[in-house]
Amino acid sequence: MIDVTIIVNGETRRASVPPETTLLALLRDHFGLTGAKVGCDVGDCGACTVIVDDRPVNACLMLAGQADRRRVLTIEGVATKDKLHPLQKAFEERGALQCGFCGPGIILSAKALLDQNPEPSRHEIRDALAGNLCRCTGYAKLVDAVSDAARAIRSEQLHD
Amino acid sequence: MADEQRVLERERSAVDEAWRGLDENARLPAAAPPKTVPAEPLVPVPGQQIRAVGQRATRPDSRYHGLGQTRYIDDLALPGMLHAKIKRAGIASARIKRIDTSAAESMPGVMAVVIGREFPVNSFGPTFQDQPVLADEVVRHAGDGVAAVAAVTEQIATAALEKIVVDYEPLPAVFDPLDAMREDAPKVHPPKGNICHSLAIRRGDVAKGFAQSDHIFEGRFTSQMVEHVSIEPHAAIAAWDANGRLTVWATIGRITLARADLARTLRLPMNRIRLIGTIVGGNFGGKNEISQEPALALLSKKAGRPVKGVFTRGEEFIASTVRHPFIMDYKTGVTKDGRILARTARLVLDGGAYCSWSETTLGKCCVLAPGPYKIDNVRSEAIVVYTNKTVAGAMRGFGAPQVCFAYESHMDDIATALGIDPLAIRLRNAFEEGSPSPTGQVLQSVVVKETLLKAAERFGWEVRS
Repeated sequence: MIDVTIIVNGETRRASVPPETTLLALLRDHFGLTGAKVGCDVGDCGACTVIVDDRPVNACLMLAGQADRRRVLTIEGVATKDKLHPLQKAFEERGALQCGFCGPGIILSAKALLDQNPEPSRHEIRDALAGNLCRCTGYAKLVDAVSDAARAIRSEQLHD
Repeated sequence: MADEQRVLERERSAVDEAWRGLDENARLPAAAPPKTVPAEPLVPVPGQQIRAVGQRATRPDSRYHGLGQTRYIDDLALPGMLHAKIKRAGIASARIKRIDTSAAESMPGVMAVVIGREFPVNSFGPTFQDQPVLADEVVRHAGDGVAAVAAVTEQIATAALEKIVVDYEPLPAVFDPLDAMREDAPKVHPPKGNICHSLAIRRGDVAKGFAQSDHIFEGRFTSQMVEHVSIEPHAAIAAWDANGRLTVWATIGRITLARADLARTLRLPMNRIRLIGTIVGGNFGGKNEISQEPALALLSKKAGRPVKGVFTRGEEFIASTVRHPFIMDYKTGVTKDGRILARTARLVLDGGAYCSWSETTLGKCCVLAPGPYKIDNVRSEAIVVYTNKTVAGAMRGFGAPQVCFAYESHMDDIATALGIDPLAIRLRNAFEEGSPSPTGQVLQSVVVKETLLKAAERFGWEVRS
């Protein structure tokens, strides 16, 4: 067993897990954060995407031990208590979530992009979402939603 | 006018608010369950229905999707729950000589093992019940399950599969549907031949139509196997209560059919089974029937604990259903100016090892095979063939996309050969109001030509290079 300490959504959490435990299993089975999904378990689909120290990561490919002492953001930590993140709002309004299974991963990939690049081109958005598969909505609405959210975040910052 | 519009919009947003019971920016605490849920079900209200057409709408459930609060089956856990894994045959055609599960059963952490013989009725299927829950005597495709294990962790269950010994006597296999139709082909379901089902639709006199034609065109079109690849794999949880009632949570679209099939395999009255269709993370036809559910139910019964089963991505490709590959032979007789006088279509569908939704697919593709064209003399034949491959079942359109690809490609070939504009040849032959379909149904609300013309105008057909 190994001990891991991770700052998940701003909260320090500890667990003692077998060394082969993935970050995904740690989040889902030990911390009860089921927003990151098991789609393929081999890093192909992106449904398990979380943000580790500002970078999007396939949580199924990262061992829990590798995330020790790092900051992890999951979908459960994206909204604040009284406000949706502009990405969540835009995804809802654009109808970019149908079955919703890929949604949390895609929102986090998009968030990692917008945190680095507040004004991405459509090409840059597509590039950032390249590791996330969706089978329901098609990708156009996802790209539209990320564009909308980028615009909303920029205008929020202007008014702050 | 503008005021009226504003009133309508205000009303609409008020309705939206009421549906959700949530303020636009209201948010639920990140981890805690929601305090406010959509209180009103989505009941259509007269008046609103009319305004729904052409309006943008949002899905009320997408808020939870975006917050990561939607609970799919794999997000659920019951106290004491075990994890199940299924051993796949890995061989396309074989007789099972022996299955030894003793080493797996004695592994620490393994709570139950089941094999095909233990099922009261080891067969299921939406049309013909020709598919075993777990193969007991004969393996008919590599994705057939041969044993299932329930253990305290997924890892132990997976490791236990390695300890199960199965002795196979390999049998001849057939993989090509045309080969499978030969007399001397290995039979997938002996003594029955490999033709699972067939259908023919005839209207008019095709021989006469071809005789009157100026030109006859023939073409063969083939389509490949397609997996649905829902991002959520097949998943289910089975649990028994102390009164001998079974509850199954499953990612199944057709829960009533699934319950009947499940009751049959377990020889249990339907009123003893509660089947809960949870939110589905993508179906596309692939989750329209039971798969592992009877095995989970039996494992749960033996172990006395709830059992969850989730397919691996690999199992999704070999052990769930796929779209039928088609071989489509078309023959069309036309006049000099491109009017279709006769058409025959012969479709061979590769159904894989079991029937699943093949019969439904067959009916639909047979009716649609001639295309949306006025043809007086039509013959459409379709045959579903068993092969030792992954089971073909329902997938978006039930065979419609395959024949559409064929008849439209065929139309393009004819147009090119006759030097007619591809749009013009379609307008010349397309269904009109009151046209009869190949089965003689008089069609109403037909806008094929209007749609083609509008589409051509929108994407600039005239100015294409």
